[in-house]
Amino acid sequence: MKLSAYFRKNLTLIIVLAVLSGLFIAAANGMESKDFVITLLRGLSVGSLTFLVASGFSLIFGLLDVLNLAHGTLFMIGAYIGWTVYVRPDTLVDLLTPLALLLSGFMLGDVWIALSNRILFGKRLKRILPWVGIFISALILFSVLKQYPIAIWKVANYAQSPVSISYLASQGQNILMPPVDMAGFSPLLGFAGLIAGSLLLAFCLAVMKAGKQAATICITWRNFSGFVVLLLAGILFFVFNNALTDFLANLNSNWLFLVAVLVAVASGIGLGALMETTLIRPLYIRPIYQLMLTLGLSAIGIEVVRAIWGRPEFTMPRPELFAGTGEGCPATSLADWWQYHCSTMLVMDGRIRVFNEILIPVIGIIVLVAVWMLLQRSRLGMVIRAGVQDREMVEALGINVRRVFTLVFALGVGLAALGGVLAAPSIGLSNLMGESFLLNALIALAIGGLTSYPGAALGSLLVGLLQQFIIKYGQIGIPIPFMDVIFKPSPPIVPASTILLMVIILLILPNGLLGKKE
Amino acid sequence: MDYILDVQDIHTFIGQYHILQGVSVRVPRGSITALLGRNGAGKTTTLKSILGLTPPRQGKIMFEGNEIQGMLSFNIASLGIGFVPENRSIFRDLSVEENLKIAERKKGDYAGKKGFIFTLFPDLKRLINLSGINLSGGQQQMLAIARALVADNCLLLIDEPSEGLAPVLIEQLMKAIQQLSAYSTVVLVEQNFLVASQLAEYYVIIEEGRSVKEGKMKDLTNDKATIQHYLGAA
Repeated sequence: MKLSAYFRKNLTLIIVLAVLSGLFIAAANGMESKDFVITLLRGLSVGSLTFLVASGFSLIFGLLDVLNLAHGTLFMIGAYIGWTVYVRPDTLVDLLTPLALLLSGFMLGDVWIALSNRILFGKRLKRILPWVGIFISALILFSVLKQYPIAIWKVANYAQSPVSISYLASQGQNILMPPVDMAGFSPLLGFAGLIAGSLLLAFCLAVMKAGKQAATICITWRNFSGFVVLLLAGILFFVFNNALTDFLANLNSNWLFLVAVLVAVASGIGLGALMETTLIRPLYIRPIYQLMLTLGLSAIGIEVVRAIWGRPEFTMPRPELFAGTGEGCPATSLADWWQYHCSTMLVMDGRIRVFNEILIPVIGIIVLVAVWMLLQRSRLGMVIRAGVQDREMVEALGINVRRVFTLVFALGVGLAALGGVLAAPSIGLSNLMGESFLLNALIALAIGGLTSYPGAALGSLLVGLLQQFIIKYGQIGIPIPFMDVIFKPSPPIVPASTILLMVIILLILPNGLLGKKE
Repeated sequence: MDYILDVQDIHTFIGQYHILQGVSVRVPRGSITALLGRNGAGKTTTLKSILGLTPPRQGKIMFEGNEIQGMLSFNIASLGIGFVPENRSIFRDLSVEENLKIAERKKGDYAGKKGFIFTLFPDLKRLINLSGINLSGGQQQMLAIARALVADNCLLLIDEPSEGLAPVLIEQLMKAIQQLSAYSTVVLVEQNFLVASQLAEYYVIIEEGRSVKEGKMKDLTNDKATIQHYLGAA
């Protein structure tokens, strides 16, 4: 009786141990130790990437109740943005000016609110005018942006497509970045158009929301500082465009990779915030529409990526720290690797790739700990944990839950983008990479418990390990005990195995390993 | 008279249901005002409408002389309204201390009010590191009230504090509410007429989504016919 109670209490632990020991015993039975270590590390690597997708997904689902089916697509977009920064920094630099000018109008948020409170429109005029303004500003922005010179590759032309550029970059050749065609573009007119469009757009959006904020706002010079800073930044980026491009292009590839990671994560955060405030927010009362929306967004995202970067798969070259092949390689220890910058390393006679099998798991663990600390130690984390449980009460305490929602959504998408940019050099970029990782992440979450953060980590780990072990067995075969048969799992069994694990675990623990009972 | 809160003929819908069909509540500054009425009369919805959790479609709500209807909930609460909901809504995964700290509106709120809170509810001091899920019903109720006291609230909306509690605990809670009413105005929703009549100075009776009677509690306790008619209690 006592024993069964003990089993029930520690079911999670027992299941995890059973799965792991199953893998390990099978491994001891016919797998060489080097194969075992390699497979273990690969599992950790895939698990870490899955975790980056799953953790963001579970944070968003836990607090906002949004099943963000576009999460995989955002993961993929992170990868493609990272590639762009890393391989074509000129495109990034060209984009900075219009981006800064576009955002500048929105930095005047409080001024717009005060202004729209001051101006009294008729009720009907107040309905129509903002839409007219938005339409006009969209026209202005569209006509300016169409002419704005931005260096970009040509998907249709193979010699200038991302595939060729990637190949050249991986050969260590300096890619010839063609100068931008400035003909037919007057900078002054372009700037004026962008600023005017941005101001008009921001003002119209403020008029739409007018009346819901607290009435009295004191306008000082501080309210204009953000606007001025972005304006100056936009102009400076334009003036020093070539210098900045040269600087980035000649930067050591390790630093450039870091820049790529930061830009990809920042764009993920920005994209997430934009998506939550504009598209998700109006649909909180209609969960089904929300589901359809994110599903549609994911399809749109894939098509956008196909239009900009093309359909063929390509890889992002690894930074120099992880790309060495010459003297002293493969490295025999981490110190060796640090000295020769080898791409591979020998661990127990097996060759592993340093970037894939060491860096990615390390980053996965760092993110796991960092987000855990954020949730447990900070005020934001406290509000998130409370909001998961009772949103209404958090709001009744005077906390702006909407802002927290936006932050969490942005953070979740940022994590996915981080996963994407790390996946780009290790598994390569393809239009479908997002879907497969989203599926993995969903299975991992179902295994770990949908809204549990440690559950996301545990589930991702199990999914990654299981997949890699099955793949390995596909190569070497499992000897079936008491029989003379060697069983080689075929590739379709790889995804099936994780689903099977999910089914078994959900049958025993309907809420997942670490999920809470509702 | 000086009214801190003046609810004027509000109409609230939940989904397609017309729940409040004209509720007016005036709350004199510094008083305890009880909202009375049978189950499902709309007392809780009135509190939620004041806070904007179920925003009214018609009518006016004045708080400290400003119109607050149509504002977002967190903005309304930040004006200085504390809410103790019916189900207590303690955050289960947070410790008692975190449950109090989360209610801070500016840094130092909790540190400043700690002393006052622990003299009102000495039990909480002992439970400070326990997580919300481990508290008993009475302890949860104390924590819910304490949480509303952390920020500088000049109005407290307390919903059914005595529900499901043992008589000893109810007495302790009544004492606490009496003490804290020296510092802020209280609107109390209470089924238990005995409790309400001992605590409140003023009352408003709500029936089927309408406010039907208001006045001084003193007069009501002597008016057995009204009590019988609207509340069904003796």
